[in-house]
Amino acid sequence: MSTDVPETDDILVIEGLGKSYSGHVVLRDISFRVRKGEAVVLIGSSGSGKSTCLRCLNRLEEPTTGTITLTGTPITGPRVDLNSLRRRIGMVFQGIHLYPHKTALGNVTLALRKVLGLSAQEAEQRARIQLERVGLADKEGHYPSQLSGGQQQRVGIARAMALEPQVMLFDEPTSALDPELVGEVLTVMKRTKEAGMTMVVVTHEMQFAREVADRVIFLDKGTILANGTPEEILIRPEHPRIQEFLARTRS
Amino acid sequence: MDQIIRYFFDFSLIAPYWPDILRGFSLTVVMSVLTVLIGIPLGLAIAIVRLYRIRSLNALIILYIDFFRSIPQIVLIILVYFALPYFGIVIDPFWATILALSIVLSAFAEEIFWAGINAVAKGQWEASRSTGMTFGQTLWFVILPQVVRISIPPLTNRAIGISKGTVLGSVIAVPELLNVTSSIQSNVANPTALTVGALLFVALFLPFVLFTRWLERAHATPR
Repeated sequence: MSTDVPETDDILVIEGLGKSYSGHVVLRDISFRVRKGEAVVLIGSSGSGKSTCLRCLNRLEEPTTGTITLTGTPITGPRVDLNSLRRRIGMVFQGIHLYPHKTALGNVTLALRKVLGLSAQEAEQRARIQLERVGLADKEGHYPSQLSGGQQQRVGIARAMALEPQVMLFDEPTSALDPELVGEVLTVMKRTKEAGMTMVVVTHEMQFAREVADRVIFLDKGTILANGTPEEILIRPEHPRIQEFLARTRS
Repeated sequence: MDQIIRYFFDFSLIAPYWPDILRGFSLTVVMSVLTVLIGIPLGLAIAIVRLYRIRSLNALIILYIDFFRSIPQIVLIILVYFALPYFGIVIDPFWATILALSIVLSAFAEEIFWAGINAVAKGQWEASRSTGMTFGQTLWFVILPQVVRISIPPLTNRAIGISKGTVLGSVIAVPELLNVTSSIQSNVANPTALTVGALLFVALFLPFVLFTRWLERAHATPR
């Protein structure tokens, strides 16, 4: 850690995280911290384990070894109340996964009503604020099938943000989008970061990583090859493996 | 032509039997409705239990489904009516028919619901669970609404097919529509009663057939 920030500022602490499927090791000894308000971007080629790593953070994947804590509360371990933890961790998916039978507003209000127990009115009020933030106030009555991919993903962000999580996980949020729709989603993510949200982002958007990340982690074959500032990792990388990766993404 | 009218459309002959026919018809309606009301929820319940993936239970469920999808309905009705009393369970022909048909429908319905559950993308579960919704909430508010939507056309088809099996109740003397009309036929030595029966069956089931046709069209057109 380059600056002297007290430990209590850690939102996520990942220590010795490992994951293997029936003998095949996907992640090995992953350790890093995410501090409050920080945006940490995970990069690496496909199969490097970055998505699996992210999915371990809210236990959509079950870590094989290691510990993860969210503001001091253990996430890993047998006696964890996963549902109450997950409402503190927002997630945005590559596949978006909006509920097709619900409108944009309905997508955002569902967890507000069922998890937080808000009344329909309170939930809608809160959902509208979020839809407004992602620039879709006028689309609240639209079904996902009536929205473009970029709009869908923005609803996905609103759905996760509405629960006011302590950290947001983005799993390649723009990888499934048409190139001309990527920008609007990245803009919303940038604004989310500027609003002070703590984020962990898996992405292939190097431009975004350079502009928004406080810290970039390069994963290779399931381990952390480098962890540093965007400057250190993306502009003056020392490791030949990273230089090679960046050269390929640029072309 | 005259002969056809005399044999199949001589309504004067069956005039005294209208009350019997109507009673038979209403019994058919009640049996069909009860079969659907028991069979489909039972099928859904079994599909949900199967979702918990308890190995020994799932083996039983699959045995149940495969057995009751294979056995002819008439055989099951006879078994329920004539064999269950040996185990101390005596039920009247009306309920024996409904029980047998509901069980068969539940087995088919389970398969339809199960296929529907598996057709919903895994990401729907993940998205919902990632917001802190429980397994049950996710199932109820996210998955099942989508499953029901895709399951309704095949389910309606299957429900029609099996409800028509209420006529098989006649083998154990349930006075349903076919039973009534065929005894009238022998009484008056004229099959007009069967014509009436046929028309009433069509009147009962055709709306549902048309409903599935409409559903399929509605599903084929993108919103």
